[in-house]
Amino acid sequence: MQLQKALTRTSKADFITEMVQTVSGLLLVGFLWTHMLFVGSILLGVEAFNRLAGFMEQFRLLDVAVVFVILTVGAHVGAVFRRIPSRWQEQKIVWKHARTIKHSDTWSWLFQAVTGSAMLILVIIHVFIVVYAGINAKLSADRVQSWMLGFYIVLLLLAEYHASVGLYRALVKWGYVKRRSLKKVLSVITVCTIALGLVSLWLFLSLGDSL
Amino acid sequence: MSPRHLTFRIFRYNPDTPKHPPSIQSYELQEETGMTLFIVLNKIREEQDPSLKFDFVCRAGICGSCGMLINGRPTLACKTLTRDLPAEISLMPLPVFKLLGDLSVDTGMWFRDVSLRTEAWVHTGKTFNPNEQEERMDNETALNIYEVERCIECGCCIGGCATANIKPDFIGAAGVNRVSRFMIDPRDERDEQEYFEVVGSEDGIFGCVGLMACDDNCPIGIPLQGQLAYVRRKMAVAGWKR
Repeated sequence: MQLQKALTRTSKADFITEMVQTVSGLLLVGFLWTHMLFVGSILLGVEAFNRLAGFMEQFRLLDVAVVFVILTVGAHVGAVFRRIPSRWQEQKIVWKHARTIKHSDTWSWLFQAVTGSAMLILVIIHVFIVVYAGINAKLSADRVQSWMLGFYIVLLLLAEYHASVGLYRALVKWGYVKRRSLKKVLSVITVCTIALGLVSLWLFLSLGDSL
Repeated sequence: MSPRHLTFRIFRYNPDTPKHPPSIQSYELQEETGMTLFIVLNKIREEQDPSLKFDFVCRAGICGSCGMLINGRPTLACKTLTRDLPAEISLMPLPVFKLLGDLSVDTGMWFRDVSLRTEAWVHTGKTFNPNEQEERMDNETALNIYEVERCIECGCCIGGCATANIKPDFIGAAGVNRVSRFMIDPRDERDEQEYFEVVGSEDGIFGCVGLMACDDNCPIGIPLQGQLAYVRRKMAVAGWKR
């Protein structure tokens, strides 16, 4: 023990940060999947989508969701930031290490960090747009007609990958789960949610100017 | 089938002569039946290069001296048969541990330090009475302790761990597994808060990011994922009550 460590001993800070990371992560996975189901309501028709959006706005659920996302993402970013190797040499070590030991779960952690960092920027843009423009089928269809289509496809893929790997890691760290079967289940869920997102985007694209 | 011709690309570095930068040196060898890397390395040292440094003691997967990166994978050289490997084989020393030269690393210092920091011994206030009958332990507890006590401290879980590679104070799976052994042991009188003191931090269980390279690479198959989760849950309860 050295003086500087003896003076700054924090007995449960590491535990609390770990809990904030895990709980906020789980909440965000739940949010993302619900979000994808809601967006998927376009499969039931423009009417269904608009009624759901109207309901969310009427009862201020949209505001609640936005506040929830800002707080939870903020907590999650704050907590996971400590995990990202910050020094140049550490970055070199982890990438070299992953290439050397050729271990898939080590690679997926690096991708988790990369997708997480990229998403942070995209999520901020996404939330801004929704807050300023609101939600209805016409707005979505117009947006998808533009370059924003690429934006949504990238965000969809990053978010689903990050959520899936994050949930996998949380369950592996805390639970009795069998890793192999958990991986299979999560892969199926991820493929389904990505498919749902892509179909929704395609529907908005084909609705196009008809709205 | 004629025997294969094997090429070994071996990491060479001597910390005593830092002027010579680390390099990879190639050695050629004919494969033999039932050939292990223990045989290979000794053959190379006897017939081709007496300066090659590596460690072996028991050559039977018990002593834990011969952990190294074989084609990148941390495992025991004495248990590895050449027939399970391609014709080109790369050998590197385990990372994290102090490099003594070529394939030889000092795992002992690292494990001693972790044992001291985690206080890896039975803490009891009882005085030993040699005339008394031994206290009995139920069979299941004994078997659970034995399961995790099989660790031979080869360091493969540490070398394969990305966190241990960048955080020098992280005790890794071997350290957490060692503490879990005392948590199971009824003779150790430490309460959960005392365990929290030694493993409830970033250097202990909460430093683990769950890459599970330890679990995937343990040469003797200790269920490390389960042990890490067991300690994590126990320490979460302790942290919550703190």
